[in-house]
Amino acid sequence: MSDYKEYLSEREQIDRMFEIGYSIENVQENLSGALVMFEKIGSETETLHIKTADARKYFSNLLLQQRQNV
Amino acid sequence: MADLRTNLAGIESPNPFWLASAPPTNSGYQVQRAFEAGWGGAVWKTLGDPILNVSSRFAAVSFNGQRVAGFNNIELITDRPLEVNLQEIYETKKRFPNHTVVVSLMVEPQQEKWHEIVKRVEEVGVDGLELNFGCPHGMAERGMGSASGQVPELVEKQTYWVKEAAQTPVIVKLTPNITDITVTAESAARGGADAISMINTINSLAGVDLDSWNTIPHVGGKGAHGGYCGPAVRPIALNMVGECARSPRINVPISGMGGISNWQNAVEFMLMGASNVQVCTAAMHHGFRIVEDMIDGLNNYLDEKGISSVQDIIGKSVPKYSDWGNLDLNYKIVARINNDVCINCNKCHIACEDTSHQCIDMLKDDHGNSYLEVREEDCVGCNLCSIVCPVDGAIDMVEVGSEHPPMTWNDRQAAIGSLQNPSADPIK
Repeated sequence: MSDYKEYLSEREQIDRMFEIGYSIENVQENLSGALVMFEKIGSETETLHIKTADARKYFSNLLLQQRQNV
Repeated sequence: MADLRTNLAGIESPNPFWLASAPPTNSGYQVQRAFEAGWGGAVWKTLGDPILNVSSRFAAVSFNGQRVAGFNNIELITDRPLEVNLQEIYETKKRFPNHTVVVSLMVEPQQEKWHEIVKRVEEVGVDGLELNFGCPHGMAERGMGSASGQVPELVEKQTYWVKEAAQTPVIVKLTPNITDITVTAESAARGGADAISMINTINSLAGVDLDSWNTIPHVGGKGAHGGYCGPAVRPIALNMVGECARSPRINVPISGMGGISNWQNAVEFMLMGASNVQVCTAAMHHGFRIVEDMIDGLNNYLDEKGISSVQDIIGKSVPKYSDWGNLDLNYKIVARINNDVCINCNKCHIACEDTSHQCIDMLKDDHGNSYLEVREEDCVGCNLCSIVCPVDGAIDMVEVGSEHPPMTWNDRQAAIGSLQNPSADPIK
């Protein structure tokens, strides 16, 4: 898969989490990318392993937006 | 016609172009010739205890047909008695009262030595002093030049000693042979420097002869490191000027130098914070009369921009120079190839495919003609294709709008950090 297609796939997963009411609760960065933990009241925590640089930028933008909306 | 007069820490000059302290300013004959050609000022070749030189002294690095892309020298400070220099400085200043004569000084790091030379030089009527804490070869082995300039405490202390005796403005010339030039710049300011100048030359060996295995240059089969200057060092110098100009802890004006060869280079240095510029290698390569083009070019540039005084451009690019962490991660440019201009040399494809991000495709149209196309979604905007392209206008780097507002690395890390430590989050 090209980097771009992988980014689109990861972006779709991130968007899906927000669409169903999750928000970013924690981010752990390591050699493999970023583990983004999503939380929703009354639901179990979900974790996405985001690998591409563009998707890591993308969730960061959404995190900033999330903070602004608090 | 724009006003080209400059004022560096009280040292006035008819234009921003000074000859740097170096072989071109070795004697009254040379400095007077330079003033006749139009140079606004000159920093007299460093005075101190007269030295002994070796032969040979210079070497140059040519690159792909460009001669003197870089220049290396192992010449030391003046080899003439102080009295001879002072007499010629006096005569030069008398003949050219409106031109600027600053004198470069270097003595051992002892208070009385600095006091003595400062008093004797100022007696003949100079406009300012420049302390040579930068010369990297020969004198450094004796504890002077860059050996002094690499020790912040010595920079501060010697500057202070000079200021105890000096009546004219004191410029401290800094060595680039140091990890962070702002440290020694701050030391100079703390010592009372009225201005700083940079950069002196960079430790270098110009080459090795493949047949004799001698160094270039060599002195009877033996070599020693020299000081590197000329166009090749300009980006290093420009960064150091910019770093000092944007430092909130350095509040003295800067005289910029390092590879300045034309008026465009001079404007770059002034935009990045230099109050004036000093030139050496370009004058050694092309002669003093290059200053005519520099003056004309600067004048035309200012006129075209509608700027009445050259002083109005000083530091205008400094607010645009920052740390990497303050750059916008969402800003994006991509390459676009103009196929009506492109000559299909494929250099961009090869560069991108071999050494960058593999986003330039070699395609054929319906008639079987080859053409190149950028897959913009995979292009990271690195600029490499446009850098290696031999045809002006064949590749444009085009800004692509972002769906998000600007976000810096520092913004991002603060946001992620706030998740781990919500109490530190100013928004929450």
